[in-house]
Amino acid sequence: MRIRAVVSATLASVGILVAGWQSGAHVANTASAVGTTAGTTGSGTTGAGPSGSVGSSAPSSGTSGTTGSSSSTGAAAKADGTFAGDVVQTRFGPVQVQVTVSGGAISDVTALQLTDDGGRSVQISNYAAPLLRAEVLQAQSANVQTISGATVTSDAYLTSLQAALDAAHI
Amino acid sequence: MQPTSELGRPELKAKTFRRMGTVVSLTVPVGPEPWTAAAEATLADATGVVERRFGELDARFSLYRPESEASRLARGELSLREASQEFRDCYADAAEWRLQTEGAFTPERPDGVPDLSGLVKGFAIKEAGALLQSRGLADWCLNAGGDVLVAGSPIVGSRAAWQAGVVDPQDRTTLIAAYPLGGSTGGSTGGSTGPRALATSGSAERGDHIWTRGAGVSEFRQVSVAAADILTADVLATAIVAGGVRMLNRATSGWDVEVLAIRNDGGILATPGFRA
Repeated sequence: MRIRAVVSATLASVGILVAGWQSGAHVANTASAVGTTAGTTGSGTTGAGPSGSVGSSAPSSGTSGTTGSSSSTGAAAKADGTFAGDVVQTRFGPVQVQVTVSGGAISDVTALQLTDDGGRSVQISNYAAPLLRAEVLQAQSANVQTISGATVTSDAYLTSLQAALDAAHI
Repeated sequence: MQPTSELGRPELKAKTFRRMGTVVSLTVPVGPEPWTAAAEATLADATGVVERRFGELDARFSLYRPESEASRLARGELSLREASQEFRDCYADAAEWRLQTEGAFTPERPDGVPDLSGLVKGFAIKEAGALLQSRGLADWCLNAGGDVLVAGSPIVGSRAAWQAGVVDPQDRTTLIAAYPLGGSTGGSTGGSTGPRALATSGSAERGDHIWTRGAGVSEFRQVSVAAADILTADVLATAIVAGGVRMLNRATSGWDVEVLAIRNDGGILATPGFRA
């Protein structure tokens, strides 16, 4: 369970960083802070849903700030762009996040650096975050040309969509 | 199924065969010219080439065939040292993957018998893809039991990507997501070719080749990985099912891949490439 604890603590740090950035503490290139408050508004659209698991809690709190800020943007000057937060040392290692702002609202939050369970720093360019079903690239079966699925037996496979597609194409 | 000849939808031809306990299909687009007997023959030839290579590898690596090299090794009639070069190379690859995934992917069953079935399908797809390439085929989609490798585009002469759907593990008659493979749109990277391979592994209908660590219940019901090559996609999908979130994070930070992981409770974890 140590892994879960570390992940939880590390991701919580990301959440704190996001909140810190949103409050203007880490804005490097702009004179005025974006007029958003830390993501305190409703958990909105990107919550982890029923899973509620440790690994997914922080990113959802980060992105929930996104939905919150879009409606709560104040009168302060809006600075669009991508901003990297400070590298913050935690007892698990350095943590850094990057925030993309458009129209004065945070449109994306990316972890640039997290720590693994050994306390080593890992560079993160591509991080799997929780999504709702509506948020994944939707596929209408008629618009795909092939199907990927975990299939092992040919019987199960033959009942799958791939077989139907194959039949339709022959 | 709706006809594929509808306006704006690629028209495709496919041939399928059964191998390695599953169905393999080779799909090619129909060009602007009508489908001719020559084109049909080209597709049939190409499918034959793919089928032969799958057959050779199945005969060597299948643990379901008592006479295969893998089965002889499992029975102790043959040692790894006496095995064929191909078997040893494949085993070495698998051992290297075990190292890189910190044991989440392993070429051995818990009883110690070498089991390369987690690697062989991906290996066969890769080999078959190389054969298709060497025959000068530009546009094709090779699907072996849900693991996909593509080249070119589903529309002859276009830059459009192949659209691969991902099966919803909670309702296997529907799709949960789509991912573009091949083509040359490249998105933000500007004109470069996107990932060409997509592999999906699952714990719901899993094969014997996914051994989870510890107690053995996987966190994920299904994991899809898009990568430049099919072996990386296939091995990492298997490794993430076995190794959970920890392996997922290792994969996304260590390899240039996109991942769609579906938890046992239906929750989704996805990298940006899978976002709408």
